[in-house]
Amino acid sequence: MTRGVEIKELRKNFVLKRWQGCRRIASEAVAVDGISLKVPEGQSVAFIGPNGAGKSTTIKILTGILHPTSGDVYVAGYIPWRDRRKLAYQIGTVFGQRSQLWYHLPPIDTFDLLSRIYSLKRVDFVRTRDSLIERFALGGFLHIPVRKLSLGQRMRAEVAASLLHRPRILFLDEPTIGLDVIARQELRDLICEWNREEGATVLLTSHDAGDIEQVAERVIVIHHGRIVVDDDVAAVRRRYLGSKILRVQFHETPREIPFRGMKLIERSLHEMKIEIDTSVISAQLAIARVLDAGRVADLSIEDPPLEQVIGRIYSQAAAAGAP
Amino acid sequence: MKEITKYGWIAYITARSHIAYAGEVFTRIVLMTVILYVFSRVWLAVYGVNSGPRLAGLTITQMIWYLVATEAFALSGPRTWYEVEQDVRTGRVAVQLIHPLSYGLTHLGKAMGERIVRFAIYMLAGVVIALAIAGPLRWTASGLAMFLAILPLAFLLDFLGHFLVGLCAFWLESVNGLALIYTRATMLLGGLILPMEMYPAALQPTLRRLPFASMVYAPGRMFVDPSGAVFFKAFWTQAAALIVFLCIVGAVQAAAFKRVFSNGG
Repeated sequence: MTRGVEIKELRKNFVLKRWQGCRRIASEAVAVDGISLKVPEGQSVAFIGPNGAGKSTTIKILTGILHPTSGDVYVAGYIPWRDRRKLAYQIGTVFGQRSQLWYHLPPIDTFDLLSRIYSLKRVDFVRTRDSLIERFALGGFLHIPVRKLSLGQRMRAEVAASLLHRPRILFLDEPTIGLDVIARQELRDLICEWNREEGATVLLTSHDAGDIEQVAERVIVIHHGRIVVDDDVAAVRRRYLGSKILRVQFHETPREIPFRGMKLIERSLHEMKIEIDTSVISAQLAIARVLDAGRVADLSIEDPPLEQVIGRIYSQAAAAGAP
Repeated sequence: MKEITKYGWIAYITARSHIAYAGEVFTRIVLMTVILYVFSRVWLAVYGVNSGPRLAGLTITQMIWYLVATEAFALSGPRTWYEVEQDVRTGRVAVQLIHPLSYGLTHLGKAMGERIVRFAIYMLAGVVIALAIAGPLRWTASGLAMFLAILPLAFLLDFLGHFLVGLCAFWLESVNGLALIYTRATMLLGGLILPMEMYPAALQPTLRRLPFASMVYAPGRMFVDPSGAVFFKAFWTQAAALIVFLCIVGAVQAAAFKRVFSNGG
């Protein structure tokens, strides 16, 4: 049995009851519709989907909060809803919109309490705590009540709190929500570092393409409770957007370029940003045409932003007539 | 043992959290002072027009100290029902359930931490005021021991009542109404201002059997007029109420947790 995550044919239906006149009518809403997947230990996976897709429900089943309607789930070798308390020692969870820190007390007090809750040996706890304080740069605000911390500081403390018991699996539910660009980047780096150095499995849900791109190696797109894409991040970008972004800088004003399969996005006197549709024109031919247009000073070719990829996957899934 | 220690630490952290604001502590002292002053004046007036030195078997000094104990109990009650309601309505219950903890015992730890701090603050203020208005009360070691034995059970019963009201949030949009009924029932039927002996004779047997009297009246009476007979009667009533409450809470919590559903994207 895997020490990571294994899901087989997971289903979760919610019964919705409403009054119609004097009668109470029950109807079922399908939140998760037959998901199967395996996440090996140490992998970092982004679990994405539009609102109401079923990703949060799945995460809550994986953490033992919700019972599924049917299916098998093993997380770190445990059945989450049956072994919730045992599993809790193996997993760390960060909900971006919910805090586990005590609002009126400094983070150090919450850390101390968590060491008791997880029955950590004092010497192990102090070693891990001190290492996290150093890695997450918490020293400056460790003794300041949480209510006085910035959101970025709070989230760093929040993630550190969830790592104190050295979980093998880390669930992150929108961890960077509301953070500014710098705080977001810092947090992503810290999560990556933890995943790399500790070999912990990371399951991330986010609406932020940057989180997915920088933290995850694999992306699972869920829509209407079903998996519509399960691949590594680079492959998803390649497969779902047959385009490349070409940035060119010329020494002089370039000649006109025949733009079949090449969409001019931006142009200044000596610069061009072109989107290449690789189903119409190969990247090689497009570059050749650009080189013909004038003396090139600099040239770069990029993949399109992940937001665009995600947007396309969602629209394709909707067009495919998902119920 | 480690399991119990966890909840002890939760109580300790909650207690620290509740003394973090000096302003809040001061407000509570002012509130207690005003309440005790007003009701002491009322009792002084009542005893003044009364022909005998005792009412309900209590002297004016005992009556004012009775007020101190019962008011401290009533005012120190943590709003566990609100906490549970918020857990349910905001999905915060998810954060509680990811830790290796029992949901009910976590709330018990929090409630006890908060209660002990608040009760201590109110008692401290109450003792000063009662000493100034009525003078000292004669305590005995056995009397105080009986009071301290009855008090934790009263706290526990009150917690279960609040917790039960909070759990109703799994079915109701708001439990404000139920909480209002519960807290008022505790005050009116529990003997907050009037000791049980002053209620109509026909109602007394029923009221004494209700859990409210064993939360408010029993500790209050033990504090000012301890007696072995009253202690054992109160103790058994508390024990019976505890068993009934635990059964109801257990069944309601089991049913409630089946209704936990996902909240948020």
